[in-house]
Amino acid sequence: MKKGVLKYRTSDKTVNAVCACIAIGLFLILWYWGTAATKLGMMIPGPIEVLQAIGRGLFGKVGRHSIIAHVGYSMMRVMVGFAIGSLVGVALGLLMGWYGIAEAIFNPLFRIIRPIPPIAWIPISIIWFGLGEDAKIFLIFLAAFSNTTLNSMAGAKSVDPEVINAAKMLGASERQIFTTIVLPASVPSIFAGLQVAISSSWATVLAAEMVRSSEGLGWMIVAGMNNNDMIQILSGIVMIGIVGFILAIIMRKAEEVLCRWNKSGE
Amino acid sequence: MKDNKKIKYLCISILSVLAVIVIWYICIDVVHMKPETVFPGPVKVFRSFIDKLSSKAPDGATLQAHLWSSIKVALLGYALGAVIGVPLGIAMAWNKWVDRFVRPLFDLIRPIPGLAWIPMFILLFGIGITSKALVIFLGALIACIVNSYTGIRQTKETHLWVGDVFGATGSQKLFRIAIPTALPMIFTGLRVALGTSWTALVAAELLASTKGLGYMIQQARAISRPDIIIVGMLAIGAVGAVFDALLHLVEVKVAKGMNVK
Repeated sequence: MKKGVLKYRTSDKTVNAVCACIAIGLFLILWYWGTAATKLGMMIPGPIEVLQAIGRGLFGKVGRHSIIAHVGYSMMRVMVGFAIGSLVGVALGLLMGWYGIAEAIFNPLFRIIRPIPPIAWIPISIIWFGLGEDAKIFLIFLAAFSNTTLNSMAGAKSVDPEVINAAKMLGASERQIFTTIVLPASVPSIFAGLQVAISSSWATVLAAEMVRSSEGLGWMIVAGMNNNDMIQILSGIVMIGIVGFILAIIMRKAEEVLCRWNKSGE
Repeated sequence: MKDNKKIKYLCISILSVLAVIVIWYICIDVVHMKPETVFPGPVKVFRSFIDKLSSKAPDGATLQAHLWSSIKVALLGYALGAVIGVPLGIAMAWNKWVDRFVRPLFDLIRPIPGLAWIPMFILLFGIGITSKALVIFLGALIACIVNSYTGIRQTKETHLWVGDVFGATGSQKLFRIAIPTALPMIFTGLRVALGTSWTALVAAELLASTKGLGYMIQQARAISRPDIIIVGMLAIGAVGAVFDALLHLVEVKVAKGMNVK
């Protein structure tokens, strides 16, 4: 954060770290105490039990696979769907944002599809594509697609008209304006869209796996629910959080590299 | 000149929607590319929709009953999430100390999609309204916090300096400069949160429920009635769109001339 309101000095970083440790420490102590000393412990396992379960399952077996393998299954689905969905989404979004005619054609259709959450497509995608990978990838495609389209469109539309007029005055062609002004100006918005898209894809793959699957993190927590195994659910949730966190970090790093001039304050 | 262009685009829009429906109709009802148990045509879907308004078969409630039960839960969780999330996000972006203590905890739960909590909440609270509302609350909360936070952070330092020069107090700078700057982002957050809420709700209903649109489409899948699934999906989409439009109306009123096109 270089341009924003709160400019932390370097010395503040230590204070930040200390405060973070205190906050998280308090949370863990509260969790531990709550489960060890009160009746809550009968329902919810403590942090140590959950950590042990993760340690055991990481390379051991939860269901038919290790936790690592479950993560791998979920990630593979997300990556394929996200890649296709975001490519199509960015292209369509920029087109719709910049060319009025493209917006007139696609926007009404997009507006009919978009409010339907990708998760609501689960039943029909199972009928259309069966129980295999295709259905899940289709769902993740939808999740990534609608978010990136929306944001790329907003990005292309919010370009400063003065800049465009200046370019026109200096004799830039329509295509030059698009590639040298609209595209770079939309990048921050596109990245905001990609970040939403990746978390939405991640949520969608979990839902898809929860509804119908025999592997993946979504399966892990729903199997925990069916077996009344709270430890498995919580270790699944922790793993889901870790993966989600790593995905977010990757997106943020990519954003830092690709649009250095406009960080979104994350 | 401009009006002409608008009318032209409107015509194109209507044509494109009509074209899709006609292609759908031709593919299914005329050429019979797919059987009706896989991909029903528009006529069949429309008939099922009319039917479902009055008939309780095959899942025990009419469309309106499912709709109402879904909306109730979604709004409850969403309202809670927005009321807590937006102020918290603003506070985190504005005040260093809130940021320092709340941010780490928030960062812990943030990467976990709301619907990942569904199994845990179902075990703890059963399949009733509590577990669903909690899931929706978490989803909405995260979206609201993230966007309000980002919005406040977008405030230009120059604007704050201007405030300083004219002797604005801290709260004046917050309410007159930072929050108006952030309003478009806050509204984006509210709209994203609405989407997440619906999503989480549908997921919860797909998994374990006895009523609601998610339950309806899941039941329809079990008995291979894709027409009812599509009716349900369109209903889910329509409600989402109506809410979004309402929010947009509020946005136009509140955030005049900001990112309103």
